[in-house]
Amino acid sequence: MSKNIINIGIPSKGRLKNDTINIFKKKKLKIYSERGERDLFGYIKKSNVKIIYLHARECIEQLSLGNIDVGFSGIDLLKESEINIQNKIKVIKKYEFGKANLVLAIPDLWIDVQTLLDLDEVADEFKKKKKLLRVATKYPNLTRQFLYSKGVTQFQLVKSLGSTEVAPFTGTAEIISDITSTGATLKANNLRVLKDGEILKSQACLMISKLSLKKSGIKKIINLLGK
Amino acid sequence: MKSKNLSEKILRLIKSKGFNNIELDPVLETKYILQRSGENFKRLLFSFYDLNGKELCLRPDLTISSVLRFVQNKSNKKQKVFYSGEAFRKTYRKQDSIIKNQIGFEILGSKDKQKEDREIIETSIKILKSSGFTKAVLKIGNVELFNLLISKLDIPRRWKNRLKRYYWNASYFNELLKRLETNLDIDPVFVEIDKSRYLQMRKVKNFKEVAGRSYKEILDRFDMKINDPRRSSSGKINTKIIKEFLKVKCELKNAPKVLNNFFQKYGLNIFVGKEFFPLNKIKKKNLRVEFSASSGRDVEFYSSMIFSIEVKKGKKFKNFISGGRYDELTSSLGFRKVSAAGAAVNMSVYE
Repeated sequence: MSKNIINIGIPSKGRLKNDTINIFKKKKLKIYSERGERDLFGYIKKSNVKIIYLHARECIEQLSLGNIDVGFSGIDLLKESEINIQNKIKVIKKYEFGKANLVLAIPDLWIDVQTLLDLDEVADEFKKKKKLLRVATKYPNLTRQFLYSKGVTQFQLVKSLGSTEVAPFTGTAEIISDITSTGATLKANNLRVLKDGEILKSQACLMISKLSLKKSGIKKIINLLGK
Repeated sequence: MKSKNLSEKILRLIKSKGFNNIELDPVLETKYILQRSGENFKRLLFSFYDLNGKELCLRPDLTISSVLRFVQNKSNKKQKVFYSGEAFRKTYRKQDSIIKNQIGFEILGSKDKQKEDREIIETSIKILKSSGFTKAVLKIGNVELFNLLISKLDIPRRWKNRLKRYYWNASYFNELLKRLETNLDIDPVFVEIDKSRYLQMRKVKNFKEVAGRSYKEILDRFDMKINDPRRSSSGKINTKIIKEFLKVKCELKNAPKVLNNFFQKYGLNIFVGKEFFPLNKIKKKNLRVEFSASSGRDVEFYSSMIFSIEVKKGKKFKNFISGGRYDELTSSLGFRKVSAAGAAVNMSVYE
């Protein structure tokens, strides 16, 4: 990557992409793409800014490596990443969009379970049956830390790549932790959030790679986008 | 070099007390660690997969390796063993080393617990005498006393189990006490909503399952919660008793008297005799011997006697030897129960 070009990572799809592009629009920065909407590269005319469309998780990775200088992603994905990655990224601004909660959800019919204390006892029941309570999640690090901090230690994490909500009904796991904004998907899949099962409140944010802090022109772009 | 000479001296001393040297495997199956300590400990392990897909890790602790060795040998004979070596754990603090040098000695598979406990403490005191440290404090506690107290309190069975299980995790234990005080675990609104579901589920055959649990299990537990509510007034007094108990500290020789007075004050039918203390008189100059009800709370696997020896280094007291009895460790790893007591010497105190 050229030393003079400032690379900005933007989520490649969904509402996060649209809301991020709106920030540029509000600042009167129009993003151009040569090959239309599906082009994964963009640029801003009369500037040294290059836009790269990435998966929101990939944004975090590339920021830590310094391959992109500035990036937009969710705070949930940053906190989920390994500590060596987090240490290389600085959060500049938190936005009012992309708001969602990472929560612990159980099957609706587990009517005896309301809190994490109940869940811990159920985990113990599983252990007595020589099984482990399995938790399906895309957020293994945050889920592990949360459960352990609340005293639930007898569980096994099952990594999920999508459709986590079906895991309790397909035999992949007994409960899940997942990101939700309205709770509608959880409800539609016969799941409910534990009373004290909120793991993290997330929102979109603007981040910078610590490797790029001294790059020329970076302060100007950060000041503009972070206002 | 000084530390190496000292560790050799300690090993010779342990050997002279009839303990046999053993070699421990440098790697063990990760599942044993997970069964004992849960998922969170996993992030501290150096783990990897072998060619058959079995997850292995560098030994994070020598005690686990030693009891696993004993239980897997299928021997029932008493063994007195000692070992030294490195344990490996990741650390998130720059000043901590990932390699921990440990010396340990244990008595495995014997029946005379009181005698073994005494032997472990006496050997530890001998090590202290040859250590070069002039001022020390020996703290002795017993987890069984705490369990006895909990069993006599007027609180629901599920709360007794919770408090016993999380005795070792002080911060979470305090959170539990707050809930015990304020009756936070049953929400009447939720219960009302779930009642209609409850009635529907009662009509369905008991063996039907949802996410690994049968309807019968779910309904039985629901019944148990509703029929065994906690009175908030008794929650307050019980919390007070537990907190006060954990603050009990006195000279070891006075411990039975102090504890009996405490239990009498709250009208609890508990009598503490000498059987809770492996020894009551220890003669060593500059060694203070005390009983502490909360001694060694941070280690999960101790089941009754716990002790630690702290030595004065500079202006501070630092942990030098710690140990106790861990009869439940093997069963928590999924094996048969084995009587076990032992201690570990922290050589980093010399650094």
